[in-house]
Amino acid sequence: MKRFSDLNPIATAVYYMCVLGITMFSMQPLMLCISLVTSILTCVYDRSVKVKGHIFTAVLFLIAAVINPLFVHNGVTVLFYLNDNPFTLEALVYGIVAAGMIAAALYWLRSMSAALSSDKIMYIFGRFSPKIALIISMSLRYIGLFKERFRKIQNTQRALGLYDDGNLIDALRGRARVLSILITWTLENGIVTAESMEARGYMSGRRTSYAPYRIHMADISFIALSLALTAIAIIGLRNTQTVFYPDMRFELFTPWGIAGAAAFALLCLLPIIINIKEAVKWRLLISKA
Amino acid sequence: MTVFSPRIRGVLKLVIPFALIPSLVILGAVVFEGQRYLIISLGIAVLSIVLFMAGVERRNIGSRRMVITAIMTALAVFGRFIPVFKPITAICVMTAVYLGAEAGFMTGAFSVLISNIYFGQGPWTPFQMLGFGLIGLIAGYLSEILLKNKALLLIYGAVSGVAYSFIMDIWTVLWYSGGFDWGLYSAALLSALPFTVLYAVSNIAFLLLLSKPVGNKLKRIKIKYGV
Repeated sequence: MKRFSDLNPIATAVYYMCVLGITMFSMQPLMLCISLVTSILTCVYDRSVKVKGHIFTAVLFLIAAVINPLFVHNGVTVLFYLNDNPFTLEALVYGIVAAGMIAAALYWLRSMSAALSSDKIMYIFGRFSPKIALIISMSLRYIGLFKERFRKIQNTQRALGLYDDGNLIDALRGRARVLSILITWTLENGIVTAESMEARGYMSGRRTSYAPYRIHMADISFIALSLALTAIAIIGLRNTQTVFYPDMRFELFTPWGIAGAAAFALLCLLPIIINIKEAVKWRLLISKA
Repeated sequence: MTVFSPRIRGVLKLVIPFALIPSLVILGAVVFEGQRYLIISLGIAVLSIVLFMAGVERRNIGSRRMVITAIMTALAVFGRFIPVFKPITAICVMTAVYLGAEAGFMTGAFSVLISNIYFGQGPWTPFQMLGFGLIGLIAGYLSEILLKNKALLLIYGAVSGVAYSFIMDIWTVLWYSGGFDWGLYSAALLSALPFTVLYAVSNIAFLLLLSKPVGNKLKRIKIKYGV
């Protein structure tokens, strides 16, 4: 096996789709609990969420949990009345479970954004449509180019004595002039790019796309493992019962339910397990001589 | 890739943005419960390219307009890094007004797709793509009026900010409760009010700032190279 981040981007995408799919599809407390805990573990482990992100998610969790009982009044267990509207236990529990789903999904999405960098996303899209990959890569290229050209123009303006950082208005005016030059330059340059593309035969045949990643055995076995675990988790989900309204009824710990939960927990922990395994292997293989 | 008869082009121009893409977005949210959003975003991207090509009248214009659109997309993505105020709508509108409605749709859809690589992809991506795409597309349809009258341009910016909020809150409700509910929808709209105002204000501000300089540059490129 390779490190999790070295896997083929398609394997990574399939993995996150499986985890996110179960997280967002199941409104089932046990699965969501597993998903939330493991997603936080994963994000702490790969450092994809900063302290600010944790605080944001916690606040969102609280708001999402309270909104449901405030607007939905189903359920038989009334806790108290708010402006003559019943505030029920069932709606509150539903709100907490839904909020858990949102928080877990957000953590997984953040982890996914960190794992799938722009080149990897482009590789995935390029496999489907080379034209999309071309437009995305062109735009990404121009973002980098903007930064570089902005600096160049700024330096030139400064050397000409036209750029003054002294007070706010002059600084803004200078910045606006640099931006204006930048746009003119890039647009004019874009035409040259287009001419050059056509001169080299763009539009004259089918496009293909350069693929910097290859699919290895490790990727295939990783995808197979993820899909198998997902299948068990889905069977497990089907064999549990979760009813919120009007009366809460949970049957979570059926034999299949437990098996599904175990499979899902394993699935969620796969990135951490793989990375720790590789780290241990690395330690063992370091020459002691 | 642009050998369409005018009639097929006309059909595509109407069917893709108003029937195919919205039904794809709703289908993705309701049937797949948002879990296939990467595939849905991909589908929207493909359709918006087809739409873009349907908007190109002559063959040799295609690649020029595509590069210019990619540049405007990059500019919108670049602008999304500005804190609080985002010029993305203003840039979509400017592109649509000068380069055509279809180019506006593509700028909107792709700038969301690309900037979400940095800001986080998610089940909201298809809705954002549709939202900004439509803002661009409709601006393109109204291009003659918007070019003539600057006040109307600013009003369009404000209205599109509000409309964007309305589209995004459909997604919020669909995701949160798994179905559509008017009570939750109005609650979502109410809680999003500060953002709605912010969208409208930043759209007006950026259209005020950008419409003349960027407009002149696009006009110049258009006259000089016939994009």
